[in-house]
Amino acid sequence: MTDVRVSMDPGNLGPMPRPASEPWKAKNPRRSAKILLASTLPAIVAIAIGFFSKLDYAVIMMLVFLPLQIISSVAVGRNIYGKKGMADALLVVFTIFFATFVGVLLSSVIWSVISQGAHAMSLQFISQNNVYITPTTSLDYGGVGHAILGTVLIVGFTTLLTVPLGLLVAVYLTETRSKLRNTVRTLVQAMSGLPSVVAGLFIYSALIVQLHIHYGGWLGSLALLPLMLPTVARVAEEALRLVPQDLRNGALALGAPAYRAFLQVTLPAAKTGLITAVILGIARVIGETAPLILTVNNFNGTVIDLSQPMAALPTYIFQFIANSNDTSTSRAWGAALMVLILVAILFTAARLVGRDKRAAKRK
Amino acid sequence: MTDARSNAPVRRKLSTKPHSVADRVFYGLARAAAYGAIVLVGLILVFLLLRSGQTFLQQGLNFILGSKWNGTLNPPVLQIGPMLWGSILIAICGVVLAVPMSIATAYFIEFMANKRVAQIATIVVDLLAAIPSIVIGLWGLQVFTPVAAHWAQLLNKGLGWLPIFGNETGNFRGSPFIAGWIVAVMIVPIITSVTREIFSQMDRDIINASLALGGSTATSFFRVILPTASGGIVGGVLLGLGRALGETVAIFFVLNLSFEINWVDVVSNRGGSVASVILSKFGEATTQEIGGLMAAGLVLFIITLLVNWIAAWIVNLAQPWRR
Repeated sequence: MTDVRVSMDPGNLGPMPRPASEPWKAKNPRRSAKILLASTLPAIVAIAIGFFSKLDYAVIMMLVFLPLQIISSVAVGRNIYGKKGMADALLVVFTIFFATFVGVLLSSVIWSVISQGAHAMSLQFISQNNVYITPTTSLDYGGVGHAILGTVLIVGFTTLLTVPLGLLVAVYLTETRSKLRNTVRTLVQAMSGLPSVVAGLFIYSALIVQLHIHYGGWLGSLALLPLMLPTVARVAEEALRLVPQDLRNGALALGAPAYRAFLQVTLPAAKTGLITAVILGIARVIGETAPLILTVNNFNGTVIDLSQPMAALPTYIFQFIANSNDTSTSRAWGAALMVLILVAILFTAARLVGRDKRAAKRK
Repeated sequence: MTDARSNAPVRRKLSTKPHSVADRVFYGLARAAAYGAIVLVGLILVFLLLRSGQTFLQQGLNFILGSKWNGTLNPPVLQIGPMLWGSILIAICGVVLAVPMSIATAYFIEFMANKRVAQIATIVVDLLAAIPSIVIGLWGLQVFTPVAAHWAQLLNKGLGWLPIFGNETGNFRGSPFIAGWIVAVMIVPIITSVTREIFSQMDRDIINASLALGGSTATSFFRVILPTASGGIVGGVLLGLGRALGETVAIFFVLNLSFEINWVDVVSNRGGSVASVILSKFGEATTQEIGGLMAAGLVLFIITLLVNWIAAWIVNLAQPWRR
């Protein structure tokens, strides 16, 4: 079929050739200089004022630097682009101001954990336990070994319980055509908003107060289950949904029963996404504190029996955080660094798994 | 030659239902898990309701309106008004602080930064969403509280004539202002990632059309990008709000819990939080007090449930490509 537009066009004009000079790429040195001036001068003036006067940094930031920056940017914007440049300049100033603020806050969190945690970090700190440690004991003794073990055990048991459940919920949401799917999806989404302390309270009152079950690691695992389930189910659902419907239909058309179509076709195709779901679920609950405080009594020794009270990294931090003593806070920071390292490892693993998938696709 | 009809495969009954035992087991397991999830949510709700029923009957409406808590009286007086309002006040503070920062960050990542910076910023924001609240609490107590108390003091000095920045005690620690900042740090990554997702899926043609018609970057942002993305942004904000309302440990360390109601004095050093009061009181609580804490947990759960449902509904409406 011929293009209608071509036949209707009397002169049969092609597209206009691009000008070789590419004027939109041309650099205008005077313009660049003005922009550079507008973006550095206010900072220099503000620093100078701050240096010579004894005003507070926050006052200078909000009452000197920001107004100066706004005035200079708006002036340059108007000078270069005319009237409509003024609003653009404001947008740029405020976007960069707020985004920088976020960057400063969040890097402050990471930097404090790394720099303060490094004080406590040593081989002995990650291997020893907390027996005979008082708030004033020197940092040369004791550590978080027992808490790391406890976290691994409690979260590991949660993973064992939650992953099959979460994957099956995801299967229900993607592979069946039940009418209840939307209800289940909404409920799972709602569950992701369950306050962690309420999850802990539920287990505490149902099992510990009501049934007189003794505090223990496995109760903590149960309390973490409703917090991990929504993450696993939702990410797994997305992963399963990415598998093309044709693959499933192909398997079914070849005569495979539904369960084998799922196990041999859909599951391998969605493997990396499902692993990501598990990793993100673990990352979600690894730092949960309130449920563990309510259901697992803290214990200073090394315990591998899940029915006993045991320590976990978050409860270890909780134990030492309130003490104003120097070594106590150092211990808390050290444990916080440990938690952050675990989260970072999990995230790197998730990204690596995801990358493998993309690399395989390119081939 | 045999009859062609006898070679034909046996006529099967067509059905969309699973017909082999294994398939029935497979679908049965999936269904059982899904019903299990429903039962779990129901169980939590019913159990909290049962355990807190006595408190609700005993205290009546005063449970959420009154401001006294004494478990040793007979009958006990258990009222969580200040805590409930404190949770809401802190969540409002957090959202007010977080929304401009998140939208600016998302706009920066999606429309201003070059590709490499944007990629790194996206990873960092996603990673920060996973920082456990206890770590934020530790940072808030040790690093941020002195800084924020200083800011609060400046606000009080400069704008103290406004009712919301009043402070009689001269102590600026443990205020809802600081707790609001802590909550903001925790929900900025959430709102940013939802907003960024919405921005990135937006039809670039309408933005280019706005620019081609002579609109500036600012008018495109306020008249085209924001209105188109507003549904998703509101959903993201509500998701953050749900997280802010349920936040426990981080607030527990930076807030001075007080049963004296604090309506709007965000920089004075008394505030409340339902989740934190559960954590601080359950240790030495009497049986009846535990019932009261259950009731508090139930109220909190219902509020966050509502907020999350509305959020999920709005986010789904705003992201038709995810359906």
